[in-house]
Amino acid sequence: MPQPLRVIYSAFRLAMLHWMADPQWVIPNVIAPFVFTFVALTLFKEASGPFGLYAVLGGGMMGMWGNTLYSSGFAIEFEKWQGTLEEVVAAPSNLLHVIAGRSVSNALFGLTNMVAILLIAAFVFRVPLGIVNPFLFGLSMILTLLSVSALGLIFASAFVLTRSAQVFTNGLEFPIYVVSGSMFPIALLPFWVHPVAYILGPTWGVDAIRIAAGQESASLTFWLDLVGQRNGFLAFWLDIGVMLLITLAYVGIAIFLFKKVETKSRRDGTLVEA
Amino acid sequence: MNLWNPVRIFLSSAVFSFRAQFGWLYPPMWLTMKFVMSLSQMAFFVFVGQFLITTGQAPAGIIAYIAVGNAIMMLSWNTVFSVINITSNDKWDGTLPLLLATPAHRLPIFVGRAMMHVLDGMLSVAIAFAFAIFLFGVNFGNADALALLIVVFMTAFTMSGFGLLIGGFSFHFRNPLVFANIFTYILLIFCGVNFPIQALPQPLQLVSYTIPLTYGVDAGRKAIAGATLLDIAPLLAQVLIVGVISILLGYIFFRWFEHVARKTGQIEAV
Repeated sequence: MPQPLRVIYSAFRLAMLHWMADPQWVIPNVIAPFVFTFVALTLFKEASGPFGLYAVLGGGMMGMWGNTLYSSGFAIEFEKWQGTLEEVVAAPSNLLHVIAGRSVSNALFGLTNMVAILLIAAFVFRVPLGIVNPFLFGLSMILTLLSVSALGLIFASAFVLTRSAQVFTNGLEFPIYVVSGSMFPIALLPFWVHPVAYILGPTWGVDAIRIAAGQESASLTFWLDLVGQRNGFLAFWLDIGVMLLITLAYVGIAIFLFKKVETKSRRDGTLVEA
Repeated sequence: MNLWNPVRIFLSSAVFSFRAQFGWLYPPMWLTMKFVMSLSQMAFFVFVGQFLITTGQAPAGIIAYIAVGNAIMMLSWNTVFSVINITSNDKWDGTLPLLLATPAHRLPIFVGRAMMHVLDGMLSVAIAFAFAIFLFGVNFGNADALALLIVVFMTAFTMSGFGLLIGGFSFHFRNPLVFANIFTYILLIFCGVNFPIQALPQPLQLVSYTIPLTYGVDAGRKAIAGATLLDIAPLLAQVLIVGVISILLGYIFFRWFEHVARKTGQIEAV
């Protein structure tokens, strides 16, 4: 097996083993999205229209994001507590490959979060989940998950340098829920927030997911203005295309940052103090 | 008996447990997070409410309802989440056996640990109120300031009792952080923060009445609308009763699990 793949696989395997040894850690990842979805569904209870599905898809998206952010932040913190971060950085393997392996495992858990929220919504809240195009729905979900993971890589690189990774994790969770418009149209946000929303992969991902589920009306307004109100299929692929471009940019930034962080932490010798 | 001793233990416990968090958290980060958390949690639910308003399915008043509910709920991040985590941090830092080895009376230690978080929680609410007024246009023109201050203090104090209760309970478990997450977030469901508790199924409403925040949020909304201290006295009495019961139960749990941990040698079960 090529060396990078071997490192990625080992990191993935170790993350899975950690999770299986202490599965209760999945609870902090899912509790916020679950509670937010519950609150939104209760608020939308009396409303007519596709609000239920809107809340559920948003909640699922939040579940993926919460899991990725929490895992990337807490993984670094955990290494510091265990005293293994120095060994991981000192090893000849590329740190990015180690973190990427973990991100893949986090992505897998993130997918289970989304599925869990969908199932709870369907069976506990009785929200009708009429997915118009299951194939595109599944595809957009997986691609969004990859985009979220790539964003998590950027955060993970910064988390290596700080001793407040867990605080960042808690602090970044809510702003991304707000800015990505996971549970309401981003048109409601102040105009100066829109550029931030548009550079987030999850914004386009959740839009694609909604279109695939049959909610063209909930899509980004300017897309539908551009391609026509009835052309949800084209809007879907535009969403996916933009998201993939943003994801590639995330990966490029993450590679750059990891190199910088690795060099800085080796040169300054402040890894343990951070 | 030296009467000053319990006070000294109470004060040192309060100061040290609060200062301990700066071992892993830079003070500027602590302050930044206060602003970010207050704004983003409130904004999230306010925009959900706004979404309903734009489609004509909710009255405009829902914005103030949600903003005030979330502003008061902010104190739970300090008085519940942080207080539950005190035990967790003690375990990770290796200070729990030292604490339990001291001859100091447990009650001032136990209650003192939460006290600075009460003041910290009040600061969080003040910041959140500022956001509610200046960003979301909530009208505080009729508010009874004294009544509101007392509501926020009593809610913070009694919610720290709730935090101590859960913290005492989680003393026995490996990761109190998991409990901290669960019990802080579910307050958003049970305490009338974003919707009236009557919207919950009947059995779940019973849970709402056991949490001081439920009464505190209600009293806070009334004080902002102009209710005087006398008007909200019955609610404050309920806050106090539920809060004192929480503290007493928490203390009993704390002592019981201390006893079990000493007997089984699992003080640092991490």
